[in-house]
Amino acid sequence: MAAPPEPGEPEERKLLGFLDVENTPCARHSILYGSLGSVVAGFGHFLFTSRIRRSCDVGVGGFILVTLGCWFHCRYNYAKQRIQERIAREEIKKKILYEGTHLDPERKHNGSSSN
Amino acid sequence: MAHAAQVGLQDATSPIMEELITFHDHALMIIFLICFLVLYALFLTLTTKLTNTNISDAQEMETVWTILPAIILVLIALPSLRILYMTDEINNPSLTIKSIGHQWYWTYEYTDYGGLIFNSYMLPPLFLEPGDLRLLDVDNRVVLPIEAPIRMMITSQDVLHSWAVPTLGLKTDAIPGRLNQTTFTATRPGVYYGQCSEICGANHSFMPIVLELIPLKIFEMGPVFTL
Repeated sequence: MAAPPEPGEPEERKLLGFLDVENTPCARHSILYGSLGSVVAGFGHFLFTSRIRRSCDVGVGGFILVTLGCWFHCRYNYAKQRIQERIAREEIKKKILYEGTHLDPERKHNGSSSN
Repeated sequence: MAHAAQVGLQDATSPIMEELITFHDHALMIIFLICFLVLYALFLTLTTKLTNTNISDAQEMETVWTILPAIILVLIALPSLRILYMTDEINNPSLTIKSIGHQWYWTYEYTDYGGLIFNSYMLPPLFLEPGDLRLLDVDNRVVLPIEAPIRMMITSQDVLHSWAVPTLGLKTDAIPGRLNQTTFTATRPGVYYGQCSEICGANHSFMPIVLELIPLKIFEMGPVFTL
């Protein structure tokens, strides 16, 4: 995430020059959906009401709400995925360490299911 | 280590730092959206035709702009407190190292399995080999195993110092007359750098910390004890 770009690799692009949306999980996805939601909400409101300023307000509000919603949803799933990855990594490590011994997780599991 | 003009956090080398990076992303997104809202409100004040200065009794708006920030603060505080308590968990460390701050170097003591004590001075520029990092490399690195919980006991001989390694998410003050404790578990091998983080005199910027994290099997063979 913080490694400098290697020579030959494309240069990192940051949103507004400092927001690293490429390397932050869920950021690019949330901002894109937020922008889309903002355009849809603002333009839709304008089509129905023809009020420019209020439509801009709706657009900004839509951007904030959609970005926040996508962000929390994506981060929640990302956190669940990380926990599952950690459990899988630990189980693989245990399997490698204890395979063939009395501590083998598979032996314990087969023993309990046959009982 | 940090690269030139780096603004963001370094890659994580411990589970706590991974959590800190996740929390940082979470808080930054909330901050970004609040700033966006405030900038838009400022823009509106520049372009408004509303000139009524006698507005009063906006009860609904006042309720909203009281409750909403409270909710946002709770959304930030809960993950923050979770990580705070996670850093205080004692996870049965397998190795204890003492780190003593001096003006202007660090002393490390490996007393668990012998009496190894050594000083760690910054390499002066004249003594740098090609490839060495100026103001960061030291003569004696702290060699530690990965994937083993390690306890660092930190204190100082003279003035306040602070033992910091950003990639591990560690920063602990070295206070004379006090023994502070921090624990960590490194997840990947490598050489990691930190710098003294409490002003301690003329050479405060010239007393770096370098950790050399190696696999446990190699650490057990005793490279650190051949100094």
